[in-house]
Amino acid sequence: MIQSLRRDFSIYRAIAAMAAKTRLAYNMWVWADFVVTFVSMIVFVYFWRAVYANTATLSGLALSQTITYILLARLLSPLVETRTIFFFGFMIRQGQIAVELTRPLDMQVRIMVETLAELMVFLIQQLPLFFIAWLFFGMQLPRDPVLWAAFFISLALGQGVIFLFDWMFACLAFYVTETWGLSVVRVAAGSFFSGAIVPLVMMPGWLQNLAAGLPFAQAMAVPVSFLSGISTAADAPHIWLIQITWLLVLLVLSRIVFGIAVRKVTVQGG
Amino acid sequence: MAIIQVEHLNKTFKVQRKDPWLGGAVKALFLPKYEDKVAVDGISFSIDTGEIVGYIGVNGAGKSTTIKMLTGILVPSGGSVRVLERDPHRDRVANAREIGVVFGQRTQLWWDLAFIESLSLVAKIYQVPQARYKQLLDQFAETLELKELLNVPIRNMSLGQKMRAELAATLIHEPRVVYLDEPTIGLDLIVKERIREFIKEQNRTKSTTVVLTTHDLGDIEELCKRVIIIDTGKLIYDGPIETIKDRFGKYREITFETLSTPGHVDLPSGAEIILAEPRKISVRFDRTAVTASGVAAALMNQLEVKDFSLSEPDLASIIRQIYNGALNEEQAA
Repeated sequence: MIQSLRRDFSIYRAIAAMAAKTRLAYNMWVWADFVVTFVSMIVFVYFWRAVYANTATLSGLALSQTITYILLARLLSPLVETRTIFFFGFMIRQGQIAVELTRPLDMQVRIMVETLAELMVFLIQQLPLFFIAWLFFGMQLPRDPVLWAAFFISLALGQGVIFLFDWMFACLAFYVTETWGLSVVRVAAGSFFSGAIVPLVMMPGWLQNLAAGLPFAQAMAVPVSFLSGISTAADAPHIWLIQITWLLVLLVLSRIVFGIAVRKVTVQGG
Repeated sequence: MAIIQVEHLNKTFKVQRKDPWLGGAVKALFLPKYEDKVAVDGISFSIDTGEIVGYIGVNGAGKSTTIKMLTGILVPSGGSVRVLERDPHRDRVANAREIGVVFGQRTQLWWDLAFIESLSLVAKIYQVPQARYKQLLDQFAETLELKELLNVPIRNMSLGQKMRAELAATLIHEPRVVYLDEPTIGLDLIVKERIREFIKEQNRTKSTTVVLTTHDLGDIEELCKRVIIIDTGKLIYDGPIETIKDRFGKYREITFETLSTPGHVDLPSGAEIILAEPRKISVRFDRTAVTASGVAAALMNQLEVKDFSLSEPDLASIIRQIYNGALNEEQAA
């Protein structure tokens, strides 16, 4: 048991390293991402300054809190985009699923490791932009290490949640084969309901409830709330518990859904 | 010992039938109509350790479907498959550890990584011990001429380079059974030769069992002692390649381009004209009765020949002959 865990760990570590390297193979992406995020930070900062022109607080948030929140949301927004749906689309259209199914690995674990490794590289690549936001755009970050720890744990859990949700959603690709529409719907819903565009607390009550019923906020608004002064360190255990619940439920559901979808390929030949 | 055991294997797909044009597409959206398509129809065979078997048939005969059932990624609709004493579908991951698969048009390597990185990751996934990996890498680099390719990403490789890389990755964990689905498709002669050499060597030194689908008669003649031929999902021949060659490869064709219009020509016995056009004449001859040079000499004595070509019987024509022959024999019986 321990031996097989150790073996799996070494395999998945190698896969994570590979995913990180693959991501780094595309230098142009990094620069394109840099420019797009930089421009969007400028747009969002000026937009929210204009909104706050005649008011000191909005839904209980001061301008500086909103600016901090929105800058963090911009920096992290690629985290609520999806790669799983594209990957599924490619796999099914090209028949690559046949190759993936002949690897002696759990496909879901493997792709999850790859996805999280890529996100890790992405976060490191965003560091220069963090400094720019902090130096020039008035992002105010907390000094308390507990809040940072709460943020990172919550971010990791949230990324797990969104990965599992995407895994389930992407299984639709097995039935519709056309994934462009799926990803458009998913990215639009993801950026809005994760709070990447507007802080969730500013939304009307019914929209907030809807957002809470969807998993996207777990990957964005929830972790970012620790750094923007919306959640406190005392809220952390409660928030983590909710995230862990999401994680477990989606883990079970996504494995069931994937099992059914794969059966369609293995029975129907895709 | 039988390493692969297939009994009364069946695979039926449900395919949606759409009427043409937009109207049909809309109708299919609301009232989908399905029909059954039988891809594999009651096939049985067994393959022993260390055999290289050519699994052949024309496009759409059901070759790939069978291979997919053998690898465990397709569930049979009926009958049974045992590979290494396992049900390859139920024990897909355990089965995957001991087999190697090349799907001719796809890759198991990572597009953007240098080949050596992809290869070492594959070795890691299959738990190849480091020392063994080094040893095999040296061997493979030699036979498949991979040395200059090690640092090239897969996306920058030519078709032939990619296939050599793919084969190395497929065999780096020394699988006991290897399925090669059209491994030489679209490759030039030199690469084909190299790949055949490599497969032969693996088979000879490690008793690797190989199941090979191909359209290339050269692959089959060089590699396989035994062939299984299927047509429209049914097994129509299972036996030594020699029998096929003797029975159906008996005839050859020579086509001559002539400077004048051929009139009456005398041919040695065992040869007959199958096509006569102005400036072109095709002759079919029985290899056991007369030689190619005999036929060519006879014609060249009578006609001014500009060019000529000798054609091997192709797979499709052999299959057609077997199929017709098999049907005739059944009727006679």
